[in-house]
Amino acid sequence: MGKKDQKLSENTAVIERRIKRAAKLLFYKRHRQPGVRGWELRRTLGGNYLRVVELLNQRLDNLDLQVNIVHEPGIEGEQSEANLDRARFYVTLKGSLSTSDLVMSGWRVDDVAALIVTVALIVSRGGKVARRDVEAILREKFPGWRVEQNLNRFVRLGYLAQDENDVLFMGWRSRAEIDEKLLLKLILGEPMRQEKAA
Amino acid sequence: MSRRSAADRERLLRIIGLCVAVENRGVDPFEVGIQEILDILRKYLPNWRTLEDFVLDSETLRRIAGIVQLQGDWVKRRSTSLFVDPLLIEVKLKIMDTQRLVEVFQKTWHPVVEMEMLSRARIEQAIDYWNQLATLDERRLQLPEPSDTLGSLTAEELAKRNILSEESFREALESLWDELKSRVGEKDRILYWDFVQQETYDETVRRAYLVSFLITYGYATMQINPLEEEVFLIPNEEVIEPTFGKQALTIPIAVDRETWERRTKN
Repeated sequence: MGKKDQKLSENTAVIERRIKRAAKLLFYKRHRQPGVRGWELRRTLGGNYLRVVELLNQRLDNLDLQVNIVHEPGIEGEQSEANLDRARFYVTLKGSLSTSDLVMSGWRVDDVAALIVTVALIVSRGGKVARRDVEAILREKFPGWRVEQNLNRFVRLGYLAQDENDVLFMGWRSRAEIDEKLLLKLILGEPMRQEKAA
Repeated sequence: MSRRSAADRERLLRIIGLCVAVENRGVDPFEVGIQEILDILRKYLPNWRTLEDFVLDSETLRRIAGIVQLQGDWVKRRSTSLFVDPLLIEVKLKIMDTQRLVEVFQKTWHPVVEMEMLSRARIEQAIDYWNQLATLDERRLQLPEPSDTLGSLTAEELAKRNILSEESFREALESLWDELKSRVGEKDRILYWDFVQQETYDETVRRAYLVSFLITYGYATMQINPLEEEVFLIPNEEVIEPTFGKQALTIPIAVDRETWERRTKN
């Protein structure tokens, strides 16, 4: 093996190690919330961490998984280093779940409906909505006790956040897991594409 | 306060309430008539006299500034591709059946994947920790005694520490109690140092130690004259059982070598 080949082999080994390290960081729950901040990845993987994440993403693609970068509220789309440092990196499912998978995940149909209505209202109103407005809409179809129970549960799970004025916001989990643009499009009647069976 | 001023303040409070409602409920901030409110503020300003009036005026202005900022955000959001009329969404949501909502969720939900498992290294750490951890009984021995209980030194322990040799602890206490009673005699008390002081320092310390138990166990009581800085011992005729439920009063008395030497010379 020539020197050039040896050097190449060493570099490949270093990159492999970094990809494995990135996978551990991203999959393994280390804090109360899953995922890691950009600065944590940079500290562990070095300045070129985005490239390592990109390589990991390519491998996860085969498993129908992806690395999802969620910026702090209000700075979506701005890829500056400071914003990436504060952003949270998660591994999420890339495609969508089948009905049987959804049933197996433990979600009741009416719970899902309540969550999607709440999130859609929040997104359409620019990121926040009074809890009593959501309750009023949900109570048209669900009993009051169930509405109350569901909203509290969504807050607890991180899908919603609530401030001291009883205003609801998107929680960290909604921002990580729910595709807001697609949500609004589908509600407005855009036909659903049939995905390839996994 | 004039009736007019009160009405004016009431109006400003209503304006503040309106601004708070708009901020919190995420409704159209253009529903607030900024120009009209500013005209009202301008009209009321010359009439304000007290500090509270001016604070209310500035609070209203601050809330109005918040609404103007919301209007800016509103325009920005409307100009983006993501903007959809909230009323339209609300109507669509109301007419959608549950099944369709679930389908929307299925398409838009990408759950976070996370792992929670024990690593081999962590298991090894845990085993090491378990092996090195002393039993609860052993650890309890290292804990300090609570302040409201008596320390229990057995005769064997006292013997080990050379405080008592063959003599039992209880016998030593009772012998000292008898001596205290005889030394006090007709008087009702004796100075602490007069009783504790012995020819050698070691013997003095031993005696001071036993006196502390005489008092704790109710064989004697202590009287302190704070002005003269004198401490007296008064023997009880009968043992008074200590009440451990009450908070114990601890009186520290230093039996140091310097004091003992000074008193011996005197």
